[in-house]
Amino acid sequence: MATDRRANWLKGVLDLLVLAGLAEGESYGYEISKTLAEAGLGQIKGGTLYPVLNRLEEAGLLAAEFRVTERGPGRRYYRLTDQGHETLREQGELWLAFADSVRAVLTKGKTG
Amino acid sequence: MSDYFDELARLLREAGVPRERVDATVGDLAAYVAESGTAPEEEFGPAAAFARTLGAGAAPAESAESASEGGRWVWTADIFIDEQRLNEFGAQGWEVETVDKRGMFVSRRDAERPQRWEYRREVVGREGRRALAERLAPDGWEPCGSWVHYEYFKRPAAASVGPAAEITAPPPAPAARMFLSRRFYALAAALFAVIAAVVAGVGVVLTAVTPIKGAHFWTGAAIGALAALGALWLMLRRLR
Repeated sequence: MATDRRANWLKGVLDLLVLAGLAEGESYGYEISKTLAEAGLGQIKGGTLYPVLNRLEEAGLLAAEFRVTERGPGRRYYRLTDQGHETLREQGELWLAFADSVRAVLTKGKTG
Repeated sequence: MSDYFDELARLLREAGVPRERVDATVGDLAAYVAESGTAPEEEFGPAAAFARTLGAGAAPAESAESASEGGRWVWTADIFIDEQRLNEFGAQGWEVETVDKRGMFVSRRDAERPQRWEYRREVVGREGRRALAERLAPDGWEPCGSWVHYEYFKRPAAASVGPAAEITAPPPAPAARMFLSRRFYALAAALFAVIAAVVAGVGVVLTAVTPIKGAHFWTGAAIGALAALGALWLMLRRLR
């Protein structure tokens, strides 16, 4: 039950987390997943992450480039587009306002 | 490469994803599991389901079959019938998520519990998009896409009829992606006739009074006429 609830929370914000994870520079699938896990968001499987990356790329919020490496298989590197930066700023603020409201209501419920 | 990735590559190609994109995607995913140390199936889930979610975003031209499987359908209609078509397909459970850069309605239908949707198109006047959306919000309308000075709104039929808005047996996804009205064809034909008349008139004058050869002129005129017809489509669907 707790896992389901957490998965649902993530569903609503994973695209913003991915955009935020790329705000400081380009990255690739596994690294993005690792960064989010290290931030305490739990292990995000590739099966969840890649459809989100695809959708963001299709929407023009991310640009991607496949680079072949000398050793081992190549990787697809993602970076934020200008539109991606703008969406992150706008939608990130909305999410933070929402989170503040949730916090306020929950805190009141706990102490009330 | 493992059987999993061979299978995934085959499924993505069948879904219409370009070969180059398939190779890059599969290469990237192989790098992912090489680094994470997990099994592909454990990381990405069953190949068939994963290919559907990846293919839905990557395929440039989605077939009706893949659209109905993935619950996603991208389509458009000309200005004369778009509202009517939106409501027709909304009654079949299609929810417009956005209007993309090409003027296409990006729609999705819930595979498990499809709901009916209603649509309306409004001209954004002096009040602006936000005020327009706020004015319609009390009636349950929410923006679902914009195109220059038009704003499209959707409303779940559940807002007025409750659980009865659920569709028990939705029809399959339509095979077509573009819907043009008789008025569009009539306008195109009229425009073509006008262009043809003007081109013919100019041609007669030019060949009579200048050294331009007829064949060169007619080739140029044909290209010009095709460009004008293209412009008609832009006018009606993209630049409105």
